[in-house]
Amino acid sequence: MGAGASKPAPKISSDGTPIAPDRTQRSQCWEARDIYYGCLDKHDILDSIAEKDKAARVCAAEGRAFEANCAESWVTYFKKRRIAEYKKNKTLEKLKVEGAQDLR
Amino acid sequence: MKYKTVQEQRSRYHSGPFSWKAGVLFLCSGIGLIYYFRYEKARMERKRIAEATKGVGKPKVGGPFELIDQHRKPFSSEDMKGKYALVYFGFSHCPDICPEELDKMARMIDLVRASAPASAPALLPIFITCDPARDTPAVLASYLSEFHPDFIGLTGTWEQIKQVCKKYRVYFSTPDGVKPGQDYLVDHSIYFYLMDPDGDFVEAIGRQHSPEQAAAIIKAHMGDWKK
Repeated sequence: MGAGASKPAPKISSDGTPIAPDRTQRSQCWEARDIYYGCLDKHDILDSIAEKDKAARVCAAEGRAFEANCAESWVTYFKKRRIAEYKKNKTLEKLKVEGAQDLR
Repeated sequence: MKYKTVQEQRSRYHSGPFSWKAGVLFLCSGIGLIYYFRYEKARMERKRIAEATKGVGKPKVGGPFELIDQHRKPFSSEDMKGKYALVYFGFSHCPDICPEELDKMARMIDLVRASAPASAPALLPIFITCDPARDTPAVLASYLSEFHPDFIGLTGTWEQIKQVCKKYRVYFSTPDGVKPGQDYLVDHSIYFYLMDPDGDFVEAIGRQHSPEQAAAIIKAHMGDWKK
């Protein structure tokens, strides 16, 4: 995990179970994610898992902030979702060029 | 009818049965019928959707369950009888889709309630967790309070939740026996299930519907309810 950046400890509920991120924490995580994505876009990186070393080099600070603000499972999920979304949009564009019509 | 002259009678004959009064009457009833048919067609379409899912024996989606709510009170499918319910499956540690969908659900509930007639059955917003290990009543209470004060958050044992998911045809992938504090995600279906006052499934509302569209669908079904 990110060196120096410490994740805020999850709040504990009255029965001792950790509480899920609340609305504020979620939006902080999404904000950090979008900044990280922006950096990846700038350096032409789509898959930050496959291009781990390059991403760590050029987007070090953004990556640390992303990991500091989001749970580990969320970080992995968002990194994979970025690739899936890209592929989905590519497919949609391709279909549109081929003259496919939007349902609905 | 009497005519003074043959000409007069002839002119009446030439005007035929098409007077302006008859014309207006014809147009009005025509327009009226078009509207009535359109209304009936839409109603029959909704009825078809609602009936198609009713089945003869057991309903295909939904069914009896016994869980506990976020205040640790028992809540069963019996508590849904006589009311409409909008049921959503999710988990509080969900990264992005569930919170968006729950905000939408809160909006739908408010839209439906704002314009539903007083005689309409109530509409319950129900959230059932797919992640009972982490979503204890206390966790659900604080999580759901950020979305809508009326949300009913349901949890139970891993086995109970697995059974409910099965009954609602929800894909259930939650691992059994996770350690406290473990960080993982859960796959689940992302539909709102509209259930009628008999506890039967009516229609699934998906991500493609805006809260306004969803509210219109729900209100139309509620308007059809007669019992």
